Amino acid sequence: MMFELVKIITNLVESLPDSLRSIVKLTLSEAFIKAMIFPGALFGVVLGLFAVWYERKILARVMLRVGPMHVGKVSGILQLVADALKILSKERIIPDVKNRYLFITMPSIALFLSLLLFAFLPFGAGWIIYPSEIGLLLFFGVMAISPIPILLAGYASGSKYPFIGMSRFALQLFGYEIPMFVSLTGIILLARSFDIIKIVEAQSTLPFIFPQFIGFIVFFITMVAESERIPFDIPTAESEIVSGWHTEYSGVNFLMIQFTSYEKTLALCVLASLIYLGGWYGPPVPFVPESIIAPFWVIIKALILFTVLAVIRGAYPRLTISRVLEIGWKYLIPLGFINLLVTSIFVALVSL
Amino acid sequence: MVSEVFQNAFVLYAIFCLLAPIIFYLLSVILAPNRPKKVKRMPFESGQTPIPYRVNPYPIEYFPYVIVYVAYALLALIAFLTSISLMESAETLFTGILILSIVTLVTIYLSIYMRSLVQKLEIGGREK
Repeated sequence: MMFELVKIITNLVESLPDSLRSIVKLTLSEAFIKAMIFPGALFGVVLGLFAVWYERKILARVMLRVGPMHVGKVSGILQLVADALKILSKERIIPDVKNRYLFITMPSIALFLSLLLFAFLPFGAGWIIYPSEIGLLLFFGVMAISPIPILLAGYASGSKYPFIGMSRFALQLFGYEIPMFVSLTGIILLARSFDIIKIVEAQSTLPFIFPQFIGFIVFFITMVAESERIPFDIPTAESEIVSGWHTEYSGVNFLMIQFTSYEKTLALCVLASLIYLGGWYGPPVPFVPESIIAPFWVIIKALILFTVLAVIRGAYPRLTISRVLEIGWKYLIPLGFINLLVTSIFVALVSL
Repeated sequence: MVSEVFQNAFVLYAIFCLLAPIIFYLLSVILAPNRPKKVKRMPFESGQTPIPYRVNPYPIEYFPYVIVYVAYALLALIAFLTSISLMESAETLFTGILILSIVTLVTIYLSIYMRSLVQKLEIGGREK
């Protein structure tokens, strides 16, 4: 429907001079709208800013506080813009390190990779930047290389706290990527596809959270660990190692690191809502076309998961590194494999 | 040719993803002061005077976890990538389930009997 409206506007634009026409045509094209407005750039940035504000409000409620309330008319909604401007106006301090260029460039690369994750996430059958038969593989390909800039940032910082944070991050990551992949394999077996759109379509009758409940629990815990959030925030534990692997970062580099963290968390929440919670399937809303309401359900489901993450952050203490590694080894990996075995037996019995 | 490239949503989005850090950096160049001092460039050491050269100890006690995880990462990747092709025929599916059963049982056994993999140096075979 929206694209039809765009076509009408394009016809009106035909009357413009040639030089202007080509620019306007590009900005009104389906590709430009998807890449720059929804589900691309503008949406990603707004969602990231909203998530920070929303998390601060949830945390405030958990701790019986009010949270941001002064900047912006509605519940301090503009607080995050003010915070971003404040951090941008802080001095960029580059410590005397051996790998200066590595130190400067790593937050930018981390941000690039975390934003790129949204290219593979569909918000409806047509609402995707890069539709692919191997969308899930591509998503996890980018996910798999996204910790490298973080590890290199810790390495390039050249002081003790980033080094300890980096080694903790590497250990945590090693341990939690395995159960994440194993739990996802169950989903692939049920949907028989790596295409996220087909995985969502396979849930038209029953969301995969029901047949894959153990898989969902394993995926959710690993998701929290992958995004370095409490109780799995040992790589950046403030009370132990100052700020972990990003201790030496300030100003714009610190802002990019924070933004990266939220974008990655949100991308994982959206993915979980797509592969476990039925994606864009939800109760029909009268007088609203399905193509318009589809992204709404995805965002609502992702925000529900994000709310759970925020509540966990407010309610639970940080785990020790030995406990984190023990949970991964003793519980998550065996549970992931049990879930995969049960799923494969079920698939085999159905296909007989 | 160029216009065709810009008709691709992924190319446009990738350009934005590349530009976003540059925009942030340019904003910082405009807004942030630049008053470098030697003390600001020193590494953070919680108020202590930083030592110019030092050797950081790597937490070796958790190294056994890394070894186990590397082995399991390979298994997880194989399972992830071959899952669809294993379902192509009943024979491959049966083989897949058989291998998976062995891996699962071994994993459960190991996770029960090797509760903690934390390596501790003990003096004379006893805890200090």
